[in-house]
Amino acid sequence: MKDQIKQWLQQGKVDIFLGYKMVEGHPLPHFFVKDRLYEVDELVTGPIRYPLEKLAIRLAAEDPEVKIGLLVRDCNRRALNVLFLWHQLNPDNVMSIPVNCCPSNLADQANCSLLKPEKAGPYKEMVGIDNNISIEEAKGFDQEERLRRWTYEFDKCIKCYGCRDACPVCFCKECSLEHHALVKTGDLPVDIPIFHLVRAVHMAGRCIDCGLCEEACPMDIPLRLLYKMVNQIVLNVFKYNPGIDSVQSPFNMLGDEVTLEPKGLNAA
Amino acid sequence: MNGKIVPSVCSYCGTGCGVLFQVVNGKLVGTMPLKTHPVNEGKLCIKGWHLHEYVNSPTRLRSPLIKMNGRFRQATWDKALHFASDRLKAIIEKYGPDSVGVLVSAKITNEENYLAQKFARAAIGTNNVDHCARL
Ligand code: SF4
Ligand code: SF4
Ligand code: SF4
Ligand code: SF4
Repeated sequence: MKDQIKQWLQQGKVDIFLGYKMVEGHPLPHFFVKDRLYEVDELVTGPIRYPLEKLAIRLAAEDPEVKIGLLVRDCNRRALNVLFLWHQLNPDNVMSIPVNCCPSNLADQANCSLLKPEKAGPYKEMVGIDNNISIEEAKGFDQEERLRRWTYEFDKCIKCYGCRDACPVCFCKECSLEHHALVKTGDLPVDIPIFHLVRAVHMAGRCIDCGLCEEACPMDIPLRLLYKMVNQIVLNVFKYNPGIDSVQSPFNMLGDEVTLEPKGLNAA
Repeated sequence: MNGKIVPSVCSYCGTGCGVLFQVVNGKLVGTMPLKTHPVNEGKLCIKGWHLHEYVNSPTRLRSPLIKMNGRFRQATWDKALHFASDRLKAIIEKYGPDSVGVLVSAKITNEENYLAQKFARAAIGTNNVDHCARL
């Protein structure tokens, strides 16, 4: 793998390779380049995940011609597919090297932060939604209890926008969550359930179930489960699997002309 | 095209969350939480997520200002420091060291806070040291 990356950099097949490097005991995303080829020997893989493709969008926004290589797990692969379909990245300029993450006897290690979910505490179990339950279990509560439990979760939101900012497929130039007609500025708790449902609706046909939003949520809100439930509907009704299917989402009603150009670098 | 990721600590409050700055072509373009940081474990509040904005803000103060005749004027560091020390000396001479108070901050490091109290006690000679969180 490292030889391949060195080769790509030397031959100019990629200008920048996005991987991870250990810095003072922390595996950090790192930009590997030809001028510092020796660093490639320090490339590491592990359970810690950052949205590398989001960094790639930042680089491409600066220079649309830049050739980017990156390490891809299964979730990164799905995210890239979505980003190609939504014209956020040009597939001709992106090269990837797969890394193992899923557990298997054939792989050296199971390597994903999703494999060790935090257990819900007793209070959350009693009044909220355990992040690790299945869609079926979540639907098991009767309607009134379901509303109460989800409201408990949404109520905790501190409106940090981390779920959006960590998400590899949230790339809109103008985000609805900042639109004052939908979400008032300055108020906490946020407009419930609008804030979370707007995002859930946007994730329909787009969320690739990487779980990074939930990892970034300081309030431990079961976001992944929420978007999974939304996308189950998308799958049942439209037979569409975001990140897997190679056509645009059924929700791209505006057609190919939709203006989702990368954010300006000075924009929030 | 060049870029790098720079680990740092959020300077907005005393929690001290670990952050990663994204630098592209020498310009700070984004902030992410540091996932393996023991304090914030990959999470940030909205201030932390937007650290890069104040660094690049056009209204950011880039040099000291001295207020003269009711108006702030730009000054060099040397000039500002001399001005401050002259005024402090004059005030201490006239009203005594306890006429001065030193306010420290959660936004600076432990070591800088230590230096600030040392400055108050050893250089100025007062125990009037307090913290922004108690104001
Ligand atoms: S799981 Fe969360 S972070 Fe990942 S694609 Fe879906 S919404 Fe975005
Ligand atoms: S998909 Fe929705 S939540 Fe995400 S950036 Fe776009 S408008 Fe915002
Ligand atoms: S990450 Fe969690 S707390 Fe932050 S805005 Fe999203 S749901 Fe709310
Ligand atoms: S991210 Fe928020 S909580 Fe963390 S240090 Fe910065 S201001 Fe404080």
